[in-house]
Amino acid sequence: MSIGSTIICLLGALFMTSSAFGQAMDAPTDLAGTGYFRDQDTLPGSFRFYQQLPGGESGFWGMGPSRPNLRRSSFKIDAHDDVVYYSPEVRCQKCHEPQTKDLHYLRMGITCVQCHRGQPVAGVYQYYSPLNPIRRHAYVCAKCHEGATPSFASYMVHEPNPIASEAQGRFPLLYYAVWFMLILAGGVFVIFLPYTVFWWIRDLVAKLTRRPSHGS
Amino acid sequence: MAVDRTRLKRFPPVQRLWHLGLLVVFMILSVTGIAWMYFETPWGRGLAEQFGGFTGTLEIHRIAGLVMLAGFVLHLLYMLFKIDWKRFSQSLMGPDSLVFQWIDIKGFFAHLGWVFGLRKYPHFDRWSWWEKFDYWAVWWGLIIVGVTGLMLYNPVLTSDFMPGWLLNVALWVHRIEAVLAMGHIFTIHFTVEHWRPSAFPYNASMFDGSVDLEEARHEHPAWVERLEREGRLEGTLVPPPPVPLRILYFVFGYAIILLGLFLLVFAIANAALLTLF
Repeated sequence: MSIGSTIICLLGALFMTSSAFGQAMDAPTDLAGTGYFRDQDTLPGSFRFYQQLPGGESGFWGMGPSRPNLRRSSFKIDAHDDVVYYSPEVRCQKCHEPQTKDLHYLRMGITCVQCHRGQPVAGVYQYYSPLNPIRRHAYVCAKCHEGATPSFASYMVHEPNPIASEAQGRFPLLYYAVWFMLILAGGVFVIFLPYTVFWWIRDLVAKLTRRPSHGS
Repeated sequence: MAVDRTRLKRFPPVQRLWHLGLLVVFMILSVTGIAWMYFETPWGRGLAEQFGGFTGTLEIHRIAGLVMLAGFVLHLLYMLFKIDWKRFSQSLMGPDSLVFQWIDIKGFFAHLGWVFGLRKYPHFDRWSWWEKFDYWAVWWGLIIVGVTGLMLYNPVLTSDFMPGWLLNVALWVHRIEAVLAMGHIFTIHFTVEHWRPSAFPYNASMFDGSVDLEEARHEHPAWVERLEREGRLEGTLVPPPPVPLRILYFVFGYAIILLGLFLLVFAIANAALLTLF
């Protein structure tokens, strides 16, 4: 590198540093993540902030996923600390069986602790948890999904069974979209499968009786 | 030597080409999509291995999906070109048009009555109601499966334009629509077109582009009468395709039908092994 370009780089660095020092940080005016996580967003107990993060109740007239009942344990550094029979030796699936029905776990063979990390397992909203929504995309998703954003991270890995009534509350759009498609598909088969069978029989009768089958 | 012109031209070459391209890409998407859907079963995994495991399977599925969407765009352009803009309403609502009309509702009930032995066979013109239904079903299916497929093509990029949780919805809608499309083709479409006693064993009209005149008099009497009335029947008659071509159509068609049945039978047999909901 020539001396000239070195000087330009140094000057540039100096300029950027001075401008960063020269401005006061504005307090966040909305409740979405700012990235200044220690001071602004993630004070312990700020539950309601997380209910309104991207992917929370706000999107698409309330049709997106919501988290109606955040549990206390989701904010603890050790989510299992008051689980009496908990032991690191017990397999997660023993209690978290419903969380093993998704593409990540079943198809890609990703284990629980690859995202929820090692012992003690932190609650997903604990303020240093890698799965805290303010850094989930960067700390967890981006390990495999290069360039993951907070919006991308609002994909629901442990989605509810879309046809169960549970999904109606937790993820209304998924529930209604899947039921719409099932009724559409079911309707086509319920009407046209029997119809085709009767049609086939009628066609055979017309052929066997050797009468002009088509009324010409 | 004079060749018997016993067949009525029904599909111009470009439309036969649309159907051929559509079915080839559809089968590629079906095989790779089912392999992915059944990846947790030995059968699905075995299918996927033919395409280089799940990465290869998904890559082929994505490329084939783009090809199908490109074909759809070309078809839209072709349609705009085919519409007679000077006589727009006649062009769209005429008897050669695939647009649904009141007569198709009547045709449906007339056909229903015939199936149950209550009425004579309906007086169909060029397209019966189920042929129009088959055409528009591809539209609705392609729009649903295409939009969701594009969303799933690059999930990270998609989530720049919409919330990432819409991908949960897109994946389910994509799956259900794909199952509907495959189920319809491999059961209803094959039965109606090829396995009805009057069409059995194989109806090649979409491949050779023509139908037997006597058959058309039965199945589409109003069409033949219209051609006769307008004096166009002679000009629409064509000779049967040469024997080697007919063999080719049959072998190719049955290879595709057997592939569809293979997917259908094994998908049903393995359905209980699906571990996703």
